[in-house]
Amino acid sequence: MKNSEIDRTHIPFIIMIAVIILLPIIIPSAYIISVMVFVAVYGVLALGMGILIGHAGLFSLAHPVWFGLGAYISGILAARGWVSPGIGIIVSAFFVALISCIIGAPILRLRGYYLACATFALLLIAQIAGGQLTNITGGHEGLLGIPSLSLGGFVFQTDLHYYFLSWALCIGCFWFCSNLIHSRVGRAIRSFHDSEIASKSMGVNIPKYKLQLFILTSVMASLAGSIFCFYLCFTVPSFFGFHLLVELLMMIVIGGIGSIQGPLIGSFVILWLRELINIYFGKIFPVMTSGVDSIFFGILIIIVLIFMPRGLAGWVEQSFNLGRRTYAYFKGPGA
Amino acid sequence: MTLLSQIIQYAISGITSGSIYAIVGICWSTVFLITNVLNFATGEFVMLGGMLTWLFLGLGLGLAPAAMIAIACTVLIAIALERLAIRPVRYPSEITYMVITIASASVIKGIILIACGSETRTLKHFIDIEPIRILEATLTPQVLFVIGVLIIVTVGLFLFFNLTLFGKALRASAFNFNGALLIGIEINRFRLFCFGLAGALGALAGIVIAPIAFTGYGIGLMTGLKGLVAAIVGGWSISGTVLAGLALGLLEGFGAGFISPGWTDALALFIMIVFLILRTLSFYPRLKKEPS
Amino acid sequence: MHTSKVLVHNRGHSEIESEENYLPLNVVRLSKRFGGIHALNEVTFNIEEKSIISLIGPNGAGKTTFINVVTGTYPPDAGMIYFQGQNITGLPAHKIASLGIGRTFQLQELFFSLTVLENAMVGCHTRGRAGMLAAGLRIHTAKADEKRLREEAMENLKMIGLEQRASDSISSLPLGERKLVGMARALGMRPKLLMLDEPVAGLAAHEIENLVRLIHSLIDRGLTLLIVEHNMPFVMSISERVIVLDEGFKIAEGPPDDVRANEKVIKAYLGE
Repeated sequence: MKNSEIDRTHIPFIIMIAVIILLPIIIPSAYIISVMVFVAVYGVLALGMGILIGHAGLFSLAHPVWFGLGAYISGILAARGWVSPGIGIIVSAFFVALISCIIGAPILRLRGYYLACATFALLLIAQIAGGQLTNITGGHEGLLGIPSLSLGGFVFQTDLHYYFLSWALCIGCFWFCSNLIHSRVGRAIRSFHDSEIASKSMGVNIPKYKLQLFILTSVMASLAGSIFCFYLCFTVPSFFGFHLLVELLMMIVIGGIGSIQGPLIGSFVILWLRELINIYFGKIFPVMTSGVDSIFFGILIIIVLIFMPRGLAGWVEQSFNLGRRTYAYFKGPGA
Repeated sequence: MTLLSQIIQYAISGITSGSIYAIVGICWSTVFLITNVLNFATGEFVMLGGMLTWLFLGLGLGLAPAAMIAIACTVLIAIALERLAIRPVRYPSEITYMVITIASASVIKGIILIACGSETRTLKHFIDIEPIRILEATLTPQVLFVIGVLIIVTVGLFLFFNLTLFGKALRASAFNFNGALLIGIEINRFRLFCFGLAGALGALAGIVIAPIAFTGYGIGLMTGLKGLVAAIVGGWSISGTVLAGLALGLLEGFGAGFISPGWTDALALFIMIVFLILRTLSFYPRLKKEPS
Repeated sequence: MHTSKVLVHNRGHSEIESEENYLPLNVVRLSKRFGGIHALNEVTFNIEEKSIISLIGPNGAGKTTFINVVTGTYPPDAGMIYFQGQNITGLPAHKIASLGIGRTFQLQELFFSLTVLENAMVGCHTRGRAGMLAAGLRIHTAKADEKRLREEAMENLKMIGLEQRASDSISSLPLGERKLVGMARALGMRPKLLMLDEPVAGLAAHEIENLVRLIHSLIDRGLTLLIVEHNMPFVMSISERVIVLDEGFKIAEGPPDDVRANEKVIKAYLGE
């Protein structure tokens, strides 16, 4: 039984890698490729946040902050020519790890709603700071002059290059997180979500794991942010604030809280839904797209949360009876 | 302006915005204490008050009818929110309520954006008389309306919760949910009432501040958050929230005036974070109500 | 042995000198208050190796609080706790667990999002070493860890007789089996002292017999047991010594028959 379980868990990755490689061959559209870059980048973010919220029970709404920091630090370093872009990515990941460690230690002592409020406040402060520190960040007009990413001589220039890069990151993070969740540490994390008191008495060092997970997901977000910044050759504070937070929450909810693949599915669904709306409504009511977008996705979220609480991933699992995963989702009104 | 006049001016603007934060904070806390839901659409009630009044004024109604219909509409929307988005949730959890109320706020914002456009709007001052001068500072009469509303709301709620049977029953169910259920109190009616109340108070605050500050489809977020800060720092009680809201408004007023306006919003947020963290260090007395 | 017991009692602090006399548990003047409620008042006693001690008392006597304080869930307000000669007062709960004190819960507190086997594997958490990076990258040590933990957890499930239910969800188990899972979980960390909080409440007669057999087999393996219980026949039949708490005070201690006849105990349960 053990061997076939190992083989089974590899299948999704193999399929994903195959699909990613074949997609640009089958549908050689630059537009689709570019949307898929977004799907990958947002997928990494949603994945990290999904684990924090769904598996560990940590309502960290500050996730976009690490994304923004990753983008800005590597963008600024590259734009000023201080380091090569490749090193810049590593430097920003390192700084984000450091900052999330320093902030995480006090803030992760909060629970439930209070953690959500504190991290929400953090997010908005970061967004304000991004706009106010115009000398460093270029303020609300954004950071310009970012060169293309070059790693070891290879220069990433086309959409396709970034497509493969971003999906390499996405699949890599997905693989890592999947391994983590099914390991001893992953079980410990899921256990303290279910019952802190029992988890502690099994020897699980809860604050340590909370902080480690927080740092880990922040680094993931930072890497995604750096790639994003080099892809767009541009970055602006409004990308990384409340709007992104709402997007991520939607992706996690629609994809399914408590599953690893859920957030990724959510990223795919939300981004492509949005593209379709833009295509069809954007032509008819150009001014109203933003409002329609808000209304449509707002109602969609409400409907999903009420009728499909476990999201698409949960629905798929129920319909096709895939394996015996139980989702860490249904808690009473309790942290 | 002399220093004293500056101080007075900033204090005036501080108390004005602080009153709004206090009222919004009360909206957060009554709903949270009685239904255990942090309603992230609270800020939108404030937005609706101002925007709907502007809308109805534009349709030709007088100020008082427009305001009253706007408040009524907001109450209906708040009740609809509870009925359609909160009540049907089968597996209540904090993340669910948070996301669902954020989504509802998104819907409300979207509708207003389509109906009223994206420009900021403002209402005329309620009374058209000369501003009062104190030294070199100006005090517009609208400020007195704002403070007046705060006083009426605070006193009214105090009387309501302490003297009426319904109010006392509400307080009892906040204190002991299961006990309340056991003696036959209808929790669903209470939840409806609390949401409606929050809608009414929020809209009122939005209407009375609109002539002073701008109103627009997007003001809900920060206004709501500042109300939340007031509620958290105030320990979810009415008196605490009012004091915290006023204190926050004053801090903002002086901060914006003497230091820098760009970072004003960040101040409230920073205060909230620091306060929450200090709480965990047991410096502050345990608050009456914790989330779960 | 008698001498060292007196030694510990009278000293109330510092080291126990003789190596072979490391008592599994020694609490000295343990006190805990919750606001105005004095849950524990200067409770003092020892437990000897491989023995079964029962902790009884009317509701609200402080029995579960005692377990919570000893396991580090709450810090005591006063007093000291020694485990095998080591002062564990004030240590965090996870540290105390890894030193070898296990417990079960009145309400089981099982991990509902995990299967039965996974619950047992969390119990074995301290038996593993792989950290987050090792686990995520799935390197050799992590895989070996996983294999070993799975085997150990299965062993524990076999010991309590639930190995067939290994991949079932917790919600599909009846109460008796849930309590057993709680025990398998607590056994995962190979504790030297195991504290059971109301292990037989709600169990049918044959389940209680099962549990008694299990308890005796655990003693044979070298465990020491502290059992909090209300079920008097069970307590009387299984314990070597009984300790009685009432409103946080220790009011009696001794062999079951002595305690049963003790006037203070009768008064505590029946009132004046």
